[in-house]
Amino acid sequence: MSSLGPSTSVLSTQELLRTSTLISQGAEAKVYKAYLQDRVSDGSEPNTTQHSADPVLLKYRFQKQYRHPSLDGSLTRARIAGEARALMRCLRSGVKVPGIRMVDATGGVLGVEWVDGKNVRMLLPGGAEPEDAGMGEDEPEPDCADAEEEEEVDPLGEYGISRDALMGMIGTEIAKMHLADIIHGDLTTSNMMLRRGPNDLVLIDFGLSYHSALIEDKAVDLYVLERAFASTHPDSEPLFASVLAAYGARMGNAQWSSVKKRLDDVRLRGRKRSMVG
Amino acid sequence: MPGRHRKPSPLKVPDRPYLALGLEGSANKLGAGIIRHDKDGSTSVLSNVRHTYITPPGEGFLPRDTAQHHKEWALTVVQEAITKAGVSMHDLDCICYTKGPGMGAPLQSVALVARTLSLLFDKPLVGVNHCVGHIEMGREVTGAQNPVVLYVSGGNTQVIAYSRQCYRIFGETLDIAVGNCLDRFARVINLSNDPSPGYNIEQEAKKGKRLVPLPYTTKGMDISLSGILTSVEGYISDKRYHDGVHDETKKDDIITPADLCFSLQETVFAMLVEITERAMAHIGSKEVLIVGGVGCNERLQEMMGIMAQERGGQVFATDERFCIDNGIMIAQAGLLSYRMGHKTPMSESTCTQRFRTDEVHVAWRL
Repeated sequence: MSSLGPSTSVLSTQELLRTSTLISQGAEAKVYKAYLQDRVSDGSEPNTTQHSADPVLLKYRFQKQYRHPSLDGSLTRARIAGEARALMRCLRSGVKVPGIRMVDATGGVLGVEWVDGKNVRMLLPGGAEPEDAGMGEDEPEPDCADAEEEEEVDPLGEYGISRDALMGMIGTEIAKMHLADIIHGDLTTSNMMLRRGPNDLVLIDFGLSYHSALIEDKAVDLYVLERAFASTHPDSEPLFASVLAAYGARMGNAQWSSVKKRLDDVRLRGRKRSMVG
Repeated sequence: MPGRHRKPSPLKVPDRPYLALGLEGSANKLGAGIIRHDKDGSTSVLSNVRHTYITPPGEGFLPRDTAQHHKEWALTVVQEAITKAGVSMHDLDCICYTKGPGMGAPLQSVALVARTLSLLFDKPLVGVNHCVGHIEMGREVTGAQNPVVLYVSGGNTQVIAYSRQCYRIFGETLDIAVGNCLDRFARVINLSNDPSPGYNIEQEAKKGKRLVPLPYTTKGMDISLSGILTSVEGYISDKRYHDGVHDETKKDDIITPADLCFSLQETVFAMLVEITERAMAHIGSKEVLIVGGVGCNERLQEMMGIMAQERGGQVFATDERFCIDNGIMIAQAGLLSYRMGHKTPMSESTCTQRFRTDEVHVAWRL
């Protein structure tokens, strides 16, 4: 799990990026598929004992030209380090997230385990609409091989689980994460994947995450997801309700009732923001 | 706009030219403008008159005084709009006014003007959402088809995208608006409110050299600005703060007001561009439209332009005539809605301080 590759210089990180395949470009980062041939070999992860057998996903926070260089540099370093830290905490607490493979904060690169599966956004109605740049940040594209047969079919079919079960899994994973006092910061359906095979719901992209035990932060985290649901998946209120139900069940009564109460406050707060013009 | 859509638009090509008067006064600008929609689907701005209530440096505008200003200037501004347009009140199809959101007293004083004109000349009223006015005018002026909209002004900070006859809010400020943040800081360092505090911050920022650390508070697609304001104000009492300029000849360790303006702009605008980019990535749009008073800021436009370019997209922005609150945008949005058959009966011609962008049914778009 903790195979943070040997500290790599900026130069060799750049070299690694050059030899990797660009998958997508999100708002924050470019996402590459790469093979860490001589880095991953400590054997602590059963899947990585064979060199270069498993791909890794590289998230490269490239420099934002619009941002002042020193502001950009410090943001990038803080975000890469923060993301790695949050992933570690999640892994320790048993939240399903991709394992860490390498970190180069100065170079702006984070390497994580490759998750073979589909983005939850694509598995829900309304999510597959505008393609190309509309994809979330971290998500690998689905394999081309089975892309054809999926047209016009419920995309969840190949996983053999119901939409409701998927919502339940989302709620449970978020609750596990919040119980570990990790706030994701950007919960959307684009930032969740359904892993092929074990059908695990994997939370991805912890770029805006932070550590907090506050009810307030957990409620805001849920509110962000609620709004993402509403804006991406039309008429999804019942879906989000079952996410909350599963979340509540996992959090336990005491915690859930206070988060729930605060969530109601947060919703109201968003409403109030309409005033002055 | 008619004629530009590939799919048939719900908005029919007008059978005759339509004329509308728009009245705006939700904040410290009083505006009146006349717009014409022609038979060929084109739109022309016949007049766009504005009068701004300017307070002394260090002071903001209070609702009561602002309303008083609007009352004093209403007749002059409307008269000038009519004269410049070369039309008569009798030629109008409707009178559009800002229903909200905004400051209560100024809104009321302008709604009263609208009602009076409506009764005097027997013209129907159309109440308009201020934010939708900004968006529609921005789309009309720039020709942007389906952009992600960043609406930044003294009272609003929202990232908006259109979907299913509604302007949905993707992200917004959780506390104060960006214009409010800049204006209030301008008052702290005693910049003039003429022509606007934001403009003077922008000029001052061009002289800034040193980037001081400020909180960077994006939260998902939302941002929070009040803490940044507190933080930048805190530098005023910093030992290094010096109300002067950097000495080029030696290495000095001072923080000037210009540095603070520069740092504030760089930080806050980077946050705005970041949430806009996130919204663009989320919905897969390559166009971005900046509207609202802060939208005139050239540094914001430049940063947004760089971001859009990196994404292979394009930024659309308007100049101060249309960015800053004006009457013509109210006329534009009102006339679109009037052509879809919408009117505001006298008994409902109220105004409201709270009127969210996403509450409006955008009947005129697909």
